[in-house]
Amino acid sequence: MLEIDNLKVHFPVASGQTVRAVDGVTLTLSAGETMGLVGESGSGKSTVGKAALRLVPSTSGAIRIGDLDVTKARGPQMRKLRSRAQMVFQDPHSSLNPRMTIRRAVAEGLILNTSLRGRALNEKVAGMLESMGLPAQFHDRFPHELSGGQKQRVCIARALALDPDLLVLDEPTSALDVSVQAQILRVLRRLHEARPEMTQLFISHNLAVVRFLCQTVAVMYLGRIVEMGSVSRVFDAPAHPYTRALLSAVPVPEAKRRPDRIRLQGDIPSPTALPKGCAFHTRCPIAKKGVCNVEEPPEIGLEDGRVVRCHFALGPAPE
Amino acid sequence: MDSLLDIRNLSLVFDTFDGTYHAIDDVSLSLKPGEALGLVGETGCGKSVLTRAAFGLVPSPPARITQGSVKLDGMELLGLTDRALRQVRGRQVAMIFQDPMTYLNPVFKVGTQLVDAIRAQHGGAIDRKAAREIALDMLEKVHLPNPLRQFNSYPHELSGGMRQRILIAMALAARPKLLIADEPTTALDVTIQAQILDLMAELVDDMNLSMIMISHDLGVVAQVCSRVAVMYAGKIVEDAPIREIFETPVHPYTKGLLGALPHPFRPADDLESIPGNLPDLLDPPPGCRFAGRCTFRRPECDAPIPLAEIAPRHSVACVLRPGAVTPAVAATKDLNHA
Ligand SMILES: Nc1ncnc2c1ncn2[C@@H]1O[C@H](COP(=O)(O)OP(=O)(O)OP(=O)(O)O)[C@@H](O)[C@H]1O
Ligand SMILES: Nc1ncnc2c1ncn2[C@@H]1O[C@H](COP(=O)(O)OP(=O)(O)OP(=O)(O)O)[C@@H](O)[C@H]1O
Ligand code: SF4
Ligand SMILES: [Mg+2]
Ligand SMILES: [Mg+2]
Repeated sequence: MLEIDNLKVHFPVASGQTVRAVDGVTLTLSAGETMGLVGESGSGKSTVGKAALRLVPSTSGAIRIGDLDVTKARGPQMRKLRSRAQMVFQDPHSSLNPRMTIRRAVAEGLILNTSLRGRALNEKVAGMLESMGLPAQFHDRFPHELSGGQKQRVCIARALALDPDLLVLDEPTSALDVSVQAQILRVLRRLHEARPEMTQLFISHNLAVVRFLCQTVAVMYLGRIVEMGSVSRVFDAPAHPYTRALLSAVPVPEAKRRPDRIRLQGDIPSPTALPKGCAFHTRCPIAKKGVCNVEEPPEIGLEDGRVVRCHFALGPAPE
Repeated sequence: MDSLLDIRNLSLVFDTFDGTYHAIDDVSLSLKPGEALGLVGETGCGKSVLTRAAFGLVPSPPARITQGSVKLDGMELLGLTDRALRQVRGRQVAMIFQDPMTYLNPVFKVGTQLVDAIRAQHGGAIDRKAAREIALDMLEKVHLPNPLRQFNSYPHELSGGMRQRILIAMALAARPKLLIADEPTTALDVTIQAQILDLMAELVDDMNLSMIMISHDLGVVAQVCSRVAVMYAGKIVEDAPIREIFETPVHPYTKGLLGALPHPFRPADDLESIPGNLPDLLDPPPGCRFAGRCTFRRPECDAPIPLAEIAPRHSVACVLRPGAVTPAVAATKDLNHA
């Protein structure tokens, strides 16, 4: 359904340097798959999502959504892309026009992209909002008359109105309270049951949320995917040292402190000056001098279908 | 042991154009020396207002404290002059917040700001050199890599985690007894958050510091605190050791919060979402403020329900608490069983 092949997105910045936001990402989502995209701030998650919808230009690589070549799409194909792939952003406040009722907000995309008009249009819009738990008394309200969770449901309704094949959700619950987050997560869970053929890319730094919603997960570090596979395998037996550290740092809602935490030293390096070799070697607890700081680790496939980018994905370095 | 901080029956309102907003209602909370308490609850429930009001940081007007007392080490803080309160805040109580950038001046080097802050904490009684010594010492304590180099950096040259370490160093340089940390890691990445939480737990132990950590994430609180107070709509609804909050929560709101949290290692089939919204605090309900969203609601819920102890160190404000069963409740129970 979504195929990304060796995608690079580089941004020139003022100082004459280049931010390698995405630096060789390859991933495939089959129809109906829900993939979580996780990783530290600045690792390139949003950029991958935006490039998939051509909201940012890609520097090189190929992106296909079904039979549509995203990087080469023009004119009518661009229109097709706009209706087939939709994105929901973190901040529902700034994603909605404050002067438009929520009914209008949902109708707009339908007017632009379909021939629905009049009563049929109204019914479709009302149905979408109701399916997100927003009954008729809400439909003529303006965004400021809704709570954060309600606004986010409007954004999801708007994205779904066009019946997209691909839905990219970029941190849709990060700005919300836990109880409101739970409400949105339940909506998305039910959505997956109601439209099992829709593919979802779910960007988040909240690993617990990814575990709840997704079947597969890709972990990014500095513009690359370092580990990708089924959620249960990656969470229960992480193979990349970064994934292990990340999972060990997740706050768990339990009474005891986590005893097993792997402490990463230092901060994430600057994306304008990526470390040589493995980009993680400056913080990696098992990095081996002469290997990790020199050679880029290859993609290693594990038996369970996982892909890991680490020299020692299959075991520690021999002493 | 005597309490370090003792908030008793504190109520605070905001006088707004729409009327009187009852933001904090009859809150009592006390903290022993060396204790780390987590204050949790959904956005707008009053966590920040409560902890700021206690130390005179909520401007009046529009705020008005209508009743209560706040004692720090036995000294009453309500009614102190602004000057006296500033001294308390500079020396005995320190605060850190979610966004460190707001509290650092972008045009001055980090070191200069640290030295100035430390000299201010000492009322100007120490020179720059001595203040610099203290600052470098603190930067080491918060495990800032390469303290000398960071000393000469500007805030924008540092990462979020480094900035938060600098603010913690600044806050703790005066050797306060109490640290108020208002969502200190919300803006940070998971791995950096873990580092800062470790640091806070270590400092609480090493410096015999008391702490109130505000968060909306019970998992974060569990990493540092031994006790949790759950707030809802301006009231504390449950206050208990962390283990009891997770294992034997009593208040339906506490249970709702726990049920809404996904667990990273125990996949769940479903989550609970608490239906409904916060009550209108311009006209708060006379009884339990959670009643409008509570699935256990019964007639007694509409009368005032105080926070009361159900076990040592475990208090709840709910008619469901053991021992609070009134005849009417007993009757409904019998009916259900019949
Ligand atoms: N338009 C742009 N111009 C220059 N740099 C950019 C641009 N957009 C993103 N970047 C940089 O690219 C890198 C990746 O950014 P991106 O927003 O994709 O990260 P992310 O993983 O989504 O992070 P977060 O979790 O903070 O949202 C960052 O270093 C960012 O500063
Ligand atoms: N100056 C003010 N005037 C009127 N109302 C105010 C004022 N300051 C705060 N409030 C209200 O008091 C209530 C409590 O606010 P507070 O900031 O303490 O919430 P909080 O629990 O810290 O929430 P968050 O998790 O979002 O930080 C909110 O409803 C807020 O709108
Ligand atoms: S390749 Fe080396 S540095 Fe990179 S993650 Fe593996 S062990 Fe660590
Ligand atoms: Mg992002
Ligand atoms: Mg607050």
